Amino acid sequence: MKADRLFKWTNIATIWLWLSLFALLPIILVLITSCLENDPVHLVRWQFTLENYRALINPIYFKVFWHSFCIAGLCTLICLCLGFPFAYLLARMQSKYKSLLLFLVIIPFWTSSLIRTYAIISILKAKGLLNTVLLSLGIIHKPLSILYTPSAVIIGLVYSLLPFMILPLYANIEKLDIRFIDAARDLGANTITIFARVILPLTLSGIVGGIVLVFLPAMSMFYIPDILGGAKSLLVGNLIQNEFLSAHNWPLGSAVSMVLTISMGLLLLIYRRADKIGQQHESISEI
Amino acid sequence: MRLLIVYFCYFIPLVLKNVRFSQQPGERYIHSHDGRKRSFRTAIQGENHDSPLENPHRDKKALQNAFRILKFVGYISLFFNSAAWAQDNVVNVYNWSSYISSDVLKEFTQETGIKVNYATYDSNETMYAKLKANPTSGYDIVVPSTYFVDRMRKQGMLQPLDKAKLSNFKYLNPALLNKAYDPDNRYSIPYFWSVTGIAVNTHYHALSEVQNWADFWKPEYRKQLLLLDDMHEVFSIALLVLGYSPNDGNPEHIRQAYLKLRQLMPNVRLFNADGVKSLFIDEDLTLGMGWNGDIYQAAQENSGIQFVYPKDGFVVSIDSMAIPIGATHLNNAYRFINFILRPDIAKKISLATGYASPNEGAVKLMPKSILSNPMIYPAQSILKRSVVQADVGDAESIYQKYWELLKIGG
Amino acid sequence: MNRLAKFSYLTAIYCFFYFPIIILIVYSFNNSTYSSLWHGFTLDWYKQLGDDTDLAVVALHSLEVSVLAATLATCIGTLAATCLYRYLFFGKKLLHGLMFVLIVSPDIVMGISLLILFFLIKMQLGFWSLLISHITFCIPFVAVTVYSRLTGLDKNIFEAARDLGASDFMSFRRIIIPMLWPAILAGWLLSFTLSLDDVIISFFVTGPDFQILPLYIYSLVRIGLKPELNALCSVMFAITLCIVVVFQLVLRNKEVE
Repeated sequence: MKADRLFKWTNIATIWLWLSLFALLPIILVLITSCLENDPVHLVRWQFTLENYRALINPIYFKVFWHSFCIAGLCTLICLCLGFPFAYLLARMQSKYKSLLLFLVIIPFWTSSLIRTYAIISILKAKGLLNTVLLSLGIIHKPLSILYTPSAVIIGLVYSLLPFMILPLYANIEKLDIRFIDAARDLGANTITIFARVILPLTLSGIVGGIVLVFLPAMSMFYIPDILGGAKSLLVGNLIQNEFLSAHNWPLGSAVSMVLTISMGLLLLIYRRADKIGQQHESISEI
Repeated sequence: MRLLIVYFCYFIPLVLKNVRFSQQPGERYIHSHDGRKRSFRTAIQGENHDSPLENPHRDKKALQNAFRILKFVGYISLFFNSAAWAQDNVVNVYNWSSYISSDVLKEFTQETGIKVNYATYDSNETMYAKLKANPTSGYDIVVPSTYFVDRMRKQGMLQPLDKAKLSNFKYLNPALLNKAYDPDNRYSIPYFWSVTGIAVNTHYHALSEVQNWADFWKPEYRKQLLLLDDMHEVFSIALLVLGYSPNDGNPEHIRQAYLKLRQLMPNVRLFNADGVKSLFIDEDLTLGMGWNGDIYQAAQENSGIQFVYPKDGFVVSIDSMAIPIGATHLNNAYRFINFILRPDIAKKISLATGYASPNEGAVKLMPKSILSNPMIYPAQSILKRSVVQADVGDAESIYQKYWELLKIGG
Repeated sequence: MNRLAKFSYLTAIYCFFYFPIIILIVYSFNNSTYSSLWHGFTLDWYKQLGDDTDLAVVALHSLEVSVLAATLATCIGTLAATCLYRYLFFGKKLLHGLMFVLIVSPDIVMGISLLILFFLIKMQLGFWSLLISHITFCIPFVAVTVYSRLTGLDKNIFEAARDLGASDFMSFRRIIIPMLWPAILAGWLLSFTLSLDDVIISFFVTGPDFQILPLYIYSLVRIGLKPELNALCSVMFAITLCIVVVFQLVLRNKEVE
């Protein structure tokens, strides 16, 4: 029994120690730093202040948040519109190649998004494939300058995050019982009603899961706007990076991070509510 | 010690994989003909010849195999790590991108046996922030611009240099030494001097149209400009257009410059400092600011690219090598600096990068065609319009504030 | 909805996924530095890649960190999952919550929080800071993978083992690990890939003397397009492909058994 207790407590102690030191403590430190004063020479001055948060209540920072929100939202919407039919078709397939096709979706999911973003650059450049093809076909007369605009950022984000939308949707739709759709059809519903009244509520938790998995990284990934975006595509992630590494205003950067974390928390709460609703629907279905 | 940990970690998954028992009670899946999974539970399997009680040798064999694989792995990692163990004979250099040629680095390693860990940055602010955040960062050499040398030495971030260890110091042009930003060159050794001007691809724009900074504000350049991602460089454009000095510390003037730049923002497509060369070569951007060396390198690959010295004035900057306080390989750092100061090496890097060398010995060795190339060595009459960048002191935080507002104002 | 429409939609999305990568691989064999047109087949860029000793060192660093981080994270994560499954202890809910927060927390917030921590304890940024950060963000993924597989186990086995006199440690070693090894291996592969591809967190916590591959690629991408970079990315993609194949085989093995 003693060996048991020893084993148990060593395990728990290890995990607690590691996580509290390197996960819990840093987050608390961020909170603390966001309430400190900025010092140009020593990085932080140990003086409590809410100045950083006050500084954020500035139309310009609102603009950044709003801009990030819009781009991330647009990206999520596009991913949803592209991903839902795809996941639906894939999940409902009866072909023997289904697992192979799923495997083909997983590969981009595992490939580094940096490499995939770089792959897009070589297509969108002024002398890239897209322009060369369009110019030679005579469709355009001057190269399209897509790169270094917000459109390029959205394309890059959608490209990187689409697998993150497809996989949760797929997992959720696969569990969908086809008898519901059959029953609805028997009762005389047309396709739109079936979609709105049957499929959507049942797959709601999958949809929300996908949205969460796409929206959060879209807000905080800084290297995609950094590589593909122009002067106008500053997102929250870039702002934080800028504060920490260029403007070296750590307190302000921490304040922005806290705001980002809190908004992420709110989003997750919405996810859990939606999940609960989804579960309610599923429990009804198990009658 | 790292080697031990690597061994230990290779060991664990191997042992776990080998020491396994095939009794697998619990859920089992089979695939039926239509591809759907069916599961049924089984109780603990009956006859099992693989349990350790019946086959004590299995454990031993597995461990033996694991050790054999471990030895093999150990030899391989030893082979790879032997290079890494020579960590002490290195020098960590942190320099601007496109500011040296890799041949020179290789030559240095060949001659001295010291390996160069070369990292790059695209702005003084990034380098400064990195050193501030990490005072013992281990960079042995950094290359700040004039005004940053001034600021960093005042804040005690740089080490005073022992000139006795730099025998090639005598080759430097005295006109560029002993300036206000670093009296007596106690902390810095000039590396290059560079000019910021207008870069234009003449295949897309007429040269006569872009002779002044003020031309950037023309409405036909909407969403076409490349501006350097450098706070002082960008503000200097606005300050020069408004008729002030680029080193102006007056808060009112800085605010006006900020407002002027706000008007320019619709024309700006991209802020970038380290990819300027390839952006111009690939014609992703055809008009903007650039440092003369970058544009010279770009012009070698794309004949349409030209460099213009703006008529309303431009900024000259001297970038210098300095040793930060946290440097760990001091002797190697001195050897590197001395190597760079050698006339033939200085000439090599100047020719490769297109920047003007402050090294008189190197200048004597350069071909006439380079010396008369106005892109690298502008005539005195042109240099009269230039202003050397200097530290703005306390106004720095005002600049910072407006720069951030400018960039996020979008 | 007819078959053709479904088929073409699926194909279109697959093309969208793979077209840029295929272009990248094709260009890595293209005998031209800047042009987009095909100039002939060449292995020059791969040769250049092989000759680049800097890159070899950087890649080795990346591999070192990823292997170590994956292994240690797997150990700690497996232990964590076991504890969460079997024991009731003080702060269990908090630990659960912490794991959840770690998974969904934006990488950038994690990166800066670790940077602040290392700055505060005056630790030099380099190999150790990078290793610790990677282990920290890999642990929750391993824990979740192993935990979900644990919940599928029959609880009676532990009872049976207890009856037969096995201690906790013995049942851990002899029952849990063997039965869960596919999940543990999957967790290892997952953390290995996450660690190898991580840009955001590594961006903040690595030091000058320890450059890793994703950051190296990032700085090269910022400077501009280079054919050698195409070759490098193709190789990285091939490695990822191999890992995914192994991962799928492992999963399939687990199902067949």
